[in-house]
Amino acid sequence: MLFRTLQLILYLVLLSASTTASSDEEAVALLKRVDELYRSSSSIATVEMQIETPHWQRSMQLKSWTVGMDDTFIRILSPKKDRGVATLKKGRDMWNYFPKINKVIKVPPSMMMGSWMGSDFTNDDLVREVSLVEEYHVEMTTHGDTYHLVLKPKRETVTVWARIEIDVLIDELIPLRQVYFDEKGRKVRTMSFSDVREFSGKRLASTMVMVPHNKEGQRTIIRYLDIEFDVDFDRSIFSLRHLQSRFR
Amino acid sequence: MLIFNLALRNVLRNRRRSLLTILSMGGGYFLLSLSLSMSEGSYNHMIDLFTRDHTGHVQLHYQDYLQRPSLYKVIDDVDEIIGVMQSQPEVQGVAPRIYGPSLAYGKNKTFPANVVGFDPLLEPTATRLKDKVKQGVYLAEHGDADPAGVMLGVSLAKNLKLTVGDELVLISQGIDGSIANDVFDVKAIVGTAESFERMNVYMRLADMRDFLSMSDGVHELAISLQHQGQALTFSNRLQQELNERQLSVDPWQVVESSFFKSMQADKKGNYISLGIIIFIVSISVLNTVLMGTLERTREFGVLRAIGTQPSMVFSLILLESFLLSLSSCIVGLLFSIPANYWLITVGYTIPEPIDMGGIYFETMLGEMSWFTLGLPALVVIASTLIVSLFPGIRAARISPLKALQAV
Repeated sequence: MLFRTLQLILYLVLLSASTTASSDEEAVALLKRVDELYRSSSSIATVEMQIETPHWQRSMQLKSWTVGMDDTFIRILSPKKDRGVATLKKGRDMWNYFPKINKVIKVPPSMMMGSWMGSDFTNDDLVREVSLVEEYHVEMTTHGDTYHLVLKPKRETVTVWARIEIDVLIDELIPLRQVYFDEKGRKVRTMSFSDVREFSGKRLASTMVMVPHNKEGQRTIIRYLDIEFDVDFDRSIFSLRHLQSRFR
Repeated sequence: MLIFNLALRNVLRNRRRSLLTILSMGGGYFLLSLSLSMSEGSYNHMIDLFTRDHTGHVQLHYQDYLQRPSLYKVIDDVDEIIGVMQSQPEVQGVAPRIYGPSLAYGKNKTFPANVVGFDPLLEPTATRLKDKVKQGVYLAEHGDADPAGVMLGVSLAKNLKLTVGDELVLISQGIDGSIANDVFDVKAIVGTAESFERMNVYMRLADMRDFLSMSDGVHELAISLQHQGQALTFSNRLQQELNERQLSVDPWQVVESSFFKSMQADKKGNYISLGIIIFIVSISVLNTVLMGTLERTREFGVLRAIGTQPSMVFSLILLESFLLSLSSCIVGLLFSIPANYWLITVGYTIPEPIDMGGIYFETMLGEMSWFTLGLPALVVIASTLIVSLFPGIRAARISPLKALQAV
């Protein structure tokens, strides 16, 4: 009898959870669009990354190949010193390759929130494992000409962010700002989007600036120089063999 | 003057007794001066060995690098500062260094390594790194560009299973946030399993800057002076000159504070045994002086009987003691100078070397200074005068009758 009751309660809880999630379908759809904006089903992008800190600044050019949300391959083109350094993410695994020493180093899961090549982007940001839609509950409100999305992690989500706020421009459905909060409600970092341009038929913000609020005078700027969507390329690019292949 | 003549005649009258007294007190002087020379000399020798191993006598860093090291705390205008240092009369050598903790890959294994960028030409002027090459050859000033040559600490080489001629892979964080990675050629193995450099990797400054993507500057300047005793005054003076550059200057006493503190504690323990030697010397002085005056009780009785003032008898005894102690110091000095000279030049070789933080301490050396020769003289003369007070007072107060009746 007791078992029966428990089962019933559990069933009701599950039912109510699913109804609230589906009640804001528009928000989820918008988040999905934001999520896949820069990836599509597949993409090839050329990106300039500029890192500024109080001690040093440097910029590099990189090229990335993505398929869906799972596979990512990034190759650094310049500066000369780092040319050929590559990152491969396949499923849940991630590796870095250093051509000078001819070594592949696996990035352990514990390092996913660590900095990628000294930038303010984490390894996780560059090769995000799973989409925001699958990991976060979302609520949407409208403020003037922007949608305001508030993301809260689902119960089973493993993340360091307790809340993510995303502002999206209503006319063009282009994100303006993403703010990340920790579990104490403090603003940890802000990513702002600007310079909207058209890339192979899609209007996108070509510049992203990531500002960490806990490190003064530090920021990383990403500029998309070129991005192609839904292109066909050899999927063997996402292999350890290709990761270690010679690159000139 | 009369008392002086009397005292001199008294000393010379009984030559054998005076000679024995002088020899016994001179022996005390000799013993004390030698043990002082040994202890001072050994400590200074030990400090010298230690500081010339890798620390140098004085070190320069940017701000609080010593307490909180950081890749970014860099000394700029290095060449200019090195030039200024080298023009100082007491400076013997200046060694610039860059530090970068890294991960080292050998054959199938990885170990953390302390990578040091150094100047192969300047380093031997300040430390003994060059003498520690156990296999291979010390890095040349300019050399093989690709892959750059490195020297490997012996424990690291053993752990990574690398020898001379093998390739070493290093990964670290560059100063521009990039991942520093490169292949190096092992040119030499340095140090022993206990020495400071056992887990170090040494490479030329230029290669190190290349590796860490640095443009200029160093993390540390190690300065060696002519004598370690100059370290404190030199660093204080230099600190005032370099204040506006935001550089901090520290003597080895601060850089190697744990070594310095244990040495201070050891030295304090040694002072106790020195105190015991001083006590023994004073006792032997007391013995001879007491014997000398007690034997002459009748003599003092006669002096008092013919009307000598008590104060005069008292000063006569003190003056005699003073003359005796002074000549015993001269005799002791004559013996201890050649003995000290032998200790300074040859030294006493310890059968079992003492290991002090990876530095082997094999010979005990002496040292001659105003301290090691002056303090024993002071001890002998002062203790003689103090112990002469009692027989002096006794002789001055004694009644002539009783004195003449004494045996």
